[in-house]
Amino acid sequence: MALFKWRGPALGGPLWELERMRNYMENVYSTLASGVSQFRRNYTGVFPLVNLTEDDDNLYLTAELPGVDPAALELTIKNDTVTVKGVRKTGPAAEGANYHRRERDAGSFSRSVNLPVKVGSDAASAGFKNGVLTVILPKVAEARAHQINITT
Amino acid sequence: MTDGNSGELNAREKRPLDMGGAESTSGEPRFSPAVDIWESEEGLTVVADMPGVPPEGLNVDLKDNVLTIFGRVAEGAKGRKALLSEFEVGDYYRQFALSESIDQERITASIKDGVLTVALPKQAPSQPRKISVVVE
Repeated sequence: MALFKWRGPALGGPLWELERMRNYMENVYSTLASGVSQFRRNYTGVFPLVNLTEDDDNLYLTAELPGVDPAALELTIKNDTVTVKGVRKTGPAAEGANYHRRERDAGSFSRSVNLPVKVGSDAASAGFKNGVLTVILPKVAEARAHQINITT
Repeated sequence: MTDGNSGELNAREKRPLDMGGAESTSGEPRFSPAVDIWESEEGLTVVADMPGVPPEGLNVDLKDNVLTIFGRVAEGAKGRKALLSEFEVGDYYRQFALSESIDQERITASIKDGVLTVALPKQAPSQPRKISVVVE
């Protein structure tokens, strides 16, 4: 993918070095775009990251929320938009502890996902198991696939 | 450094396991879990984020002063059509070399809501040796 257009300057000309830099950046960009799995394509950067899957009857929304207290999790559905809100807390259990490593983030989060089909929010259910939130959203009748018999 | 419990959380992609160029035979992704490690008077505590791992999928092992944590995720949404895929699901694996002398008999591990906590108590503390200074 071209970042921007450029007509190649003469070899060794004053713009040659610039052209070389541009090519380098283009390489970096294409490596990032292709080398990483397809998952980057949909990446929104908002916590929590979600996966949305479907079968004939339901949509399934899953999010990894390790260490989040499920009782403090707020889940709402409105106009085919699902919103997950909550807080994740980390931190040492003991007073006066010294950190050797600190890679786990803490903080509040709020994430909304627009659903591609209409769902019956009244019949939706949610579960939290092993730090993974799963929301089951039944599709409304109009959104389900119907088999049509062909008469001959 | 912030206190770590305030502000907005940023999404972070899981870190793929660095296998030194080796490929996994299963083709499934594997991840290196994010950890906190802190030390107190009593010992070391290792906390790791391993969402999706049930207690029976957990394996914690200390051998030759190397702590190995492994978590096998429960079967997920196989066979459903993906509409949006922001994170991958896979097993977790990470090793740490421990410098502290750990009482191997008293190591405990527990997992709750996808967070593994390993408590590694230190061996009986050695008494601080007082060296008296002779004033000449």
